[in-house]
Amino acid sequence: MLRYLSKSILLLVFAVAICCVIYPLALWAVGQLFFPSQSNGSLLLGSDGRPVGSRLIAQPFTKDEYFQPRPSAASYDASASASSSLAASNYALRDRVARSLGPIVNYRSGPKVGQPVAPDIELWFRKDVFQGAPHIVAQWAELHNSLAQAWVTGDTAHAAYVDNWAKRHPEEVARFMKDNPKISQPKASDLAVIFFRSFSAAAPGKFPSGVTRTGKDGKIRTMIEPVSAGPDVQSIFFDMWRQDHADADLQDIPGDLVTTSASGLDPHITLQNAEFQLDRVALKWAANLKRNPAEVRDEIERLLQKNVSAPFGGLAGEKIINVLEVNLELRNRYGAP
Amino acid sequence: MFIQIWLLPFALLAAATVIAFPLSRYMAWIMDGKYRPLPVIGWFEKRLDSGPQNWKQYAGSLLLFNTVLFIFGYLVLALQPFMPLNPDGKTILAPSTIFNSVVSFMTNTNIQHYSGDQHLSNFSQIFFCISNMFMSAAIGLCSLAAIIRALRSDTSLGNFFLDMWRVLIYMFVPAAFVFATIFISQGSPMTFQSAYQVSTLEPAAMGTTDKGEVKRQNIVVGPVAALESIKMLGTNGGGFYGMNSAHPFENPTAVSNFFNTLAMMIFPFALVLMYGRMLVRMRHALVIFSVMLALMAGTVVWNVYFDTLKPNPGLTAHAARTIDMPGAKASDMETKLIFPAVAGLPVDQHLGNLEGKEMRFGTSAGATFDALTTDVTCGAVNAEEDSLNPIAALSPMAGMWLNAIFGGKGVGMINMLMFVIIGIFIAGMMVGRTPEYLGKKIEAREVKLAAITVLVHPFMILGFTAIFAMTHWGINAVSNPGAHGFSQILYQFSSASANNGSAFDGLGVTYGFYNNPTPAPEAVAWDIATGLVMAFSRFLPIIAPIAMAAFLGEKKTSPAGLGTLRDDDATFGMFLLATILIIGALLFLPAAALGPIAEHFGPFPFGG
Repeated sequence: MLRYLSKSILLLVFAVAICCVIYPLALWAVGQLFFPSQSNGSLLLGSDGRPVGSRLIAQPFTKDEYFQPRPSAASYDASASASSSLAASNYALRDRVARSLGPIVNYRSGPKVGQPVAPDIELWFRKDVFQGAPHIVAQWAELHNSLAQAWVTGDTAHAAYVDNWAKRHPEEVARFMKDNPKISQPKASDLAVIFFRSFSAAAPGKFPSGVTRTGKDGKIRTMIEPVSAGPDVQSIFFDMWRQDHADADLQDIPGDLVTTSASGLDPHITLQNAEFQLDRVALKWAANLKRNPAEVRDEIERLLQKNVSAPFGGLAGEKIINVLEVNLELRNRYGAP
Repeated sequence: MFIQIWLLPFALLAAATVIAFPLSRYMAWIMDGKYRPLPVIGWFEKRLDSGPQNWKQYAGSLLLFNTVLFIFGYLVLALQPFMPLNPDGKTILAPSTIFNSVVSFMTNTNIQHYSGDQHLSNFSQIFFCISNMFMSAAIGLCSLAAIIRALRSDTSLGNFFLDMWRVLIYMFVPAAFVFATIFISQGSPMTFQSAYQVSTLEPAAMGTTDKGEVKRQNIVVGPVAALESIKMLGTNGGGFYGMNSAHPFENPTAVSNFFNTLAMMIFPFALVLMYGRMLVRMRHALVIFSVMLALMAGTVVWNVYFDTLKPNPGLTAHAARTIDMPGAKASDMETKLIFPAVAGLPVDQHLGNLEGKEMRFGTSAGATFDALTTDVTCGAVNAEEDSLNPIAALSPMAGMWLNAIFGGKGVGMINMLMFVIIGIFIAGMMVGRTPEYLGKKIEAREVKLAAITVLVHPFMILGFTAIFAMTHWGINAVSNPGAHGFSQILYQFSSASANNGSAFDGLGVTYGFYNNPTPAPEAVAWDIATGLVMAFSRFLPIIAPIAMAAFLGEKKTSPAGLGTLRDDDATFGMFLLATILIIGALLFLPAAALGPIAEHFGPFPFGG
């Protein structure tokens, strides 16, 4: 057996020398010699010559002047790739998709064809009736406990708001503790559902949302206040509005615009998705540059067509666009927005 | 649309089949030692060759070498902070995670309870991951070579150390070099640098750090291409980055994706034919090859049909329904559950379920890859398995349960051999004749060993799934509600036992560094349980078949007569296919019904 042990160690030494030293070094030499850009991460340089990213790695864009990449479960962190890992049956997936739909969906037909549904969501929200019963926010929290809790834990300001409410409503907290004897010291997230129930009764047709104001001292502050309109209402309550308006004919949003990629770093979107965003992007640049919108749209359209590619020339998939490269060209052409 | 969806999977199966014929000839030539080594290489071979071995010596050497490999791997990971190529100062993983990872890589499983981009230095990636990826794959291949030699009644089973050397030098290193060069040309990094910090185009969108500074994007690079090629060729799985083959650096383009997918198929395909060539029973091997190819095509078509051609059911409309559950009346539960109608969300899903898919590979590339990766027990993914449509996920699970659809390096063919033995045994019982394989009588001892090999797999999967689904180990770790949560547990143990390595990634199994203040709550239990499963399900199904083959080889060969069951015609192929499907269904259908099938039948969405 001792002989086999020495042979095992010898094999390990030989194998490590070849597989872990010679093999990677040889590849490194080939890469640096023949494919220097690819070997070093396909970096893209800005106009000042400094790297602004890798052409293979998605970056976040929020400004209307830019095309937006697919949402990222990794927050576009290129050192921690991640997928959402949400199952089709998990309501969290449907909720995330619905939230990104609410602010951008338009009617496809009917008297309001082409107009956004967002104002109608706000109108419906203010009436505060869902499926014939009053108090939308209370129903939302009861239907989706985990979402209500996520709202509380997702932001320290939200948790503070609930804590503050708990101090002013000791009777509600006492009742909660009586109903849930296992929880001795309820945290803000434990109280989420009864908080929203109480909030909805006190402020019908409103939702607690961050509002930015300039104070008397000139400082900008974000406060939580009850609001009846705005992005929170449009996104959080789109799915419930949809259930109340199942017959409304809505325009379909490209699937890749609202789904996360496997790596969270996918830099590509479909051409269909880019065309969907084109109007917004072109209008914004036209306004910034004070130019004719149709002209700018044509220019950007040509830019998209120039950057289009498809897996195996279209034999294996549809046309796609590299968002980062297109946005970099937009910035180089029109200046930083 | 039809071509965009079906051309890629067809091209992959066809290309791998075509390559398998010449490659298997070459591999048989190498493993039979008919080549003449260069003087330099010959010198190494003489040093390693310890002479002809019988089955006990061969199996003993294999286990001993694995022990050495385990110690080496443990040391590399445990000493990470003291090693070079670690500019970010990555520290030590939790001890249980090191145990899990070392077993995982040594057994060719490559389940990762860590994330390569976050937790490993480039030194560890090279000296732990790459070394194990080469060697664990070679170990599987060697064990098949030994079994073949035993079956053809060679005087010895060869020499384990010499076999390892042959596989590494004449097969894996050259193939890995070629594929890695392709991957570099497509955009996989190959550098010893560790990361770039860049200011993005719209810096504010990255968010701010705790100190209020604008975050910069931290782009992790490294010797990605070197790891990528052997990871796929060795059907190892895992990856340099957490989301492995979906990550744009591991798999930058549609072309790299094609070669990524092809790389994991060519050796498993060729090994089946190598079996036939070395035994001089090519027709028999072709029948087995056809059965495997049919099963593989089935899993791919299933996955593409239910995932690429169907929308994600979580977003579509569903009619109102009442689910009647007779006998389920508990104190707080009615026998009838009423679910109101659900209106669909306005999403264009003509490209299928896009959650967890990358756009650059092609329409059906994600579903195709995810099915193939479990058939050949690779375990890398280019699309998130957890987000596959529920019933589609049955396909990757079936690949792991059967574990013989080409399967991993060597062990896939070995598992198939066990199904062959059991199939012939059943057939023999049906016609009332002593069953024979390759002219050797199959008797009680052989059938016992084959049965043990086949049964260790379901025992590990179902036993541990049951334990974890009942206890907080499982309940606290799942990230999706209802049947899908059960699927996550089932999938993890299937993956561990099949030495696959893919996962439903939502499962909370990551401890991280030893000093991580907020590890996943049940990470230690998962580390240890899956570590044990991987080890048992690796070594029992290697050692028992080597013993069985040795016992068979010692028997007299009886000449084939009129009454002999032929093992090289279509009848045998159908019989083998039926044996696999029936045994597989008997073992795993009940668990499948609780997981993906239950989820498929809804309701959607579930919980909330």
